[in-house]
Amino acid sequence: MSLRYRVEIRNPARCIGCYSCVFACSRHLFNAVDPKRTAVFVEVDRSGSRAPKVSMCRFCKEPECAYACPHGALQPLPEGGITLTPSKCAVCKTYDCVEACQYKVLVLDEEKKVPILCDRCGECAKYCPHNVFWYTEAPAI
Amino acid sequence: MNKVLYVDLSERKSWVKDRRDLFEKMLGGAGVASQLLLEECKPKIDPFSPEAPIIFAIGPLTGIYPCMAKAVCFFKSPLTGNLGETHAGGHFAIALATAGYGALVIKGGSMQPVVLKIRDDKVEVKTASSLWGLGTRAVDEALAEPIKSGLQSIAAIGPAGEHMVLYANVIVDVHRHFGRLGLGAVWGAKKLKAVSIVGTKGIPLTNPQAVKAFYEKIEHEVVATDKMVKYHNLGTPVNVLELNALGALPTRNFRERRFEGAEEMSGERFAETVFRRKVSCANCPVACIHLGSLTKTFAPEHERGRTEIVKEERLVAYNYEPMFALGSNLGISSPSRILELIDLCEDLGLDALMTGSVLAWVTEAFENGVLDEKTLGLRPKWGDPDNVYPQIIKNIAEAKTPFYTRLAQGVARAAEKYGGRDFATSLGGNSPAGYATGYGHIVGTLVGARHSHLSNSGYSIDQQIIAGKAKVEDIAEFLVKQENWLYVLYSLVACYFARGIYTPDVVVEALATVGVKVSREDLERIGREIFHNLYRFKIQEGFDLEKEYIPKRLRELDTPIGKLDPQTLKKIITQYIELREKEGLRIRKKEEGLAELLLPQSDSEERR
Repeated sequence: MSLRYRVEIRNPARCIGCYSCVFACSRHLFNAVDPKRTAVFVEVDRSGSRAPKVSMCRFCKEPECAYACPHGALQPLPEGGITLTPSKCAVCKTYDCVEACQYKVLVLDEEKKVPILCDRCGECAKYCPHNVFWYTEAPAI
Repeated sequence: MNKVLYVDLSERKSWVKDRRDLFEKMLGGAGVASQLLLEECKPKIDPFSPEAPIIFAIGPLTGIYPCMAKAVCFFKSPLTGNLGETHAGGHFAIALATAGYGALVIKGGSMQPVVLKIRDDKVEVKTASSLWGLGTRAVDEALAEPIKSGLQSIAAIGPAGEHMVLYANVIVDVHRHFGRLGLGAVWGAKKLKAVSIVGTKGIPLTNPQAVKAFYEKIEHEVVATDKMVKYHNLGTPVNVLELNALGALPTRNFRERRFEGAEEMSGERFAETVFRRKVSCANCPVACIHLGSLTKTFAPEHERGRTEIVKEERLVAYNYEPMFALGSNLGISSPSRILELIDLCEDLGLDALMTGSVLAWVTEAFENGVLDEKTLGLRPKWGDPDNVYPQIIKNIAEAKTPFYTRLAQGVARAAEKYGGRDFATSLGGNSPAGYATGYGHIVGTLVGARHSHLSNSGYSIDQQIIAGKAKVEDIAEFLVKQENWLYVLYSLVACYFARGIYTPDVVVEALATVGVKVSREDLERIGREIFHNLYRFKIQEGFDLEKEYIPKRLRELDTPIGKLDPQTLKKIITQYIELREKEGLRIRKKEEGLAELLLPQSDSEERR
């Protein structure tokens, strides 16, 4: 994980609902094709009237998820976003962090019982055929 | 992946079997489904009986590589009386894969309307009387669930399936279909209104590093080369002007091959006027599904006496085939009129191609005096200036009168009863796609296991012949090779549009990354075996290629290479049969050559 990188959703209206980002994320983070184990989400409007809703971590400067963590497992980063200390997280039973996220983009990995964090690898942006994402290697601050 | 989910609608029971045996031998998709069809479908079964099975399958690459986004379905077709085969995209394949199954077998029949709900391991057959009678969009809205992590697919029939119109479709995720050979009618007979699949599990990878590397390579081919760009840009509607320029755009019931309205109904014009958005099947970065805007105005009585007009917009998927079938082949060129007819077929759950063929035959039969206003209750004309087609379509879907019930059996059976067989465009019981290109399309559709242009791409060798890159003598061999190979792709399950990407070498390599070790020779053998199994099933159910009838309109079709010659057609079919028999597939019932019935010298226009 390199914190220099930034990834953002810049053109949500261009989403075609192909799930390439979801599966790329799942391949990268979990070596699987798994719609549940991903840090990027696609929710389609079945009638096609609206573009699918794409969402992912916003790398908040004031991350509510981190502030909500009673164990100090999630720590805010100076450039925005969070890091996770899995050993501190493992004792948790309440998952206040998941509840705290206003964008509902922090979800729990049901297998490991820890939240799934975007590691800013950029695979979603790389495999999006429609330039929904914006990815840069420029320093984030 | 090796798990097959069996559902019995009569008993409302389900069970799972590990069928590693089938997946190891026949890859998946069409390979596995064809084996399951032979196991489950008793000979000469009534397609509407509870015993008739419906078999869906996906393959070893489903969800893993781009464009591996389709599911195949086999059943006994009530339209042709033999093989029913249909493929659909949308979310169906990925939902089934992430629910943890490689195939789904539905058997039995219900007395009450039911919905089959699958959510990973949870399988329920639920009473759904309240959904009976609804259009496919309303069913989709009713069954849709909010899903953040996972995929849902909803496949549903409309009133056409409920009334067992022999060319009723199953509509998948609003905009896709299991189309053509009457799967919707089989669901209707079983009182199966819809299937909803929610999948939230992972597809495990045995060698993730190899998959990642190979994915990158394939994805580049799909999105960064021109191999599939046509399907994304204008989509298949780009064919309209190309075929019209070539003189191969079937117009007014295949009577003409150029359409004065081609410009207006072109893909370019659709893109400028009605186009709104492109969407994709799950796991396909191409986005070939072009959605156009159809605006409907509410009637004033909905406005409680107020004067402002409220308009409702809905997005309707358009592509070349329905545009031809409900456009040029009926003499209609207006994009909004074409969208309106497509939307009606979709909502009622009718196959747009066969509906178009029936409407074209009705119009020509009315023009010739074969049909009169008393029978029809309406006066159809080319271009539909009086807007009667929507009413005819609704009458068919609801099997209104004995006449419309006959139309609901397809164009060939309608013409058998009322006359006008000469111009009832049907091949092997199915209506041909929109190509007046030459011998390849006609023979390919006739001999193909599912009587589709996607069986063996006959229209594509026609285009090579027109360009001087192939000869008429090459057609038979091309069709054999192409259909055998496509059954390999349909076992993975790849989309037909990705056939340029997934060449034999690419398929061998792709399968190796998921732990399936096969050679090119193995693949060729598997493709051939699938075709042979399906053809044996066809023959067992009564299909007899020697007795197949090619209507005069099609066997003397005017094409860019001139008027087709029945003797040449006969020669190509004979060559094809000989090639197949050399492979070990027995097609001829007698040792002598083709029966004269195949291509009668003159059509008797007796009214039966």
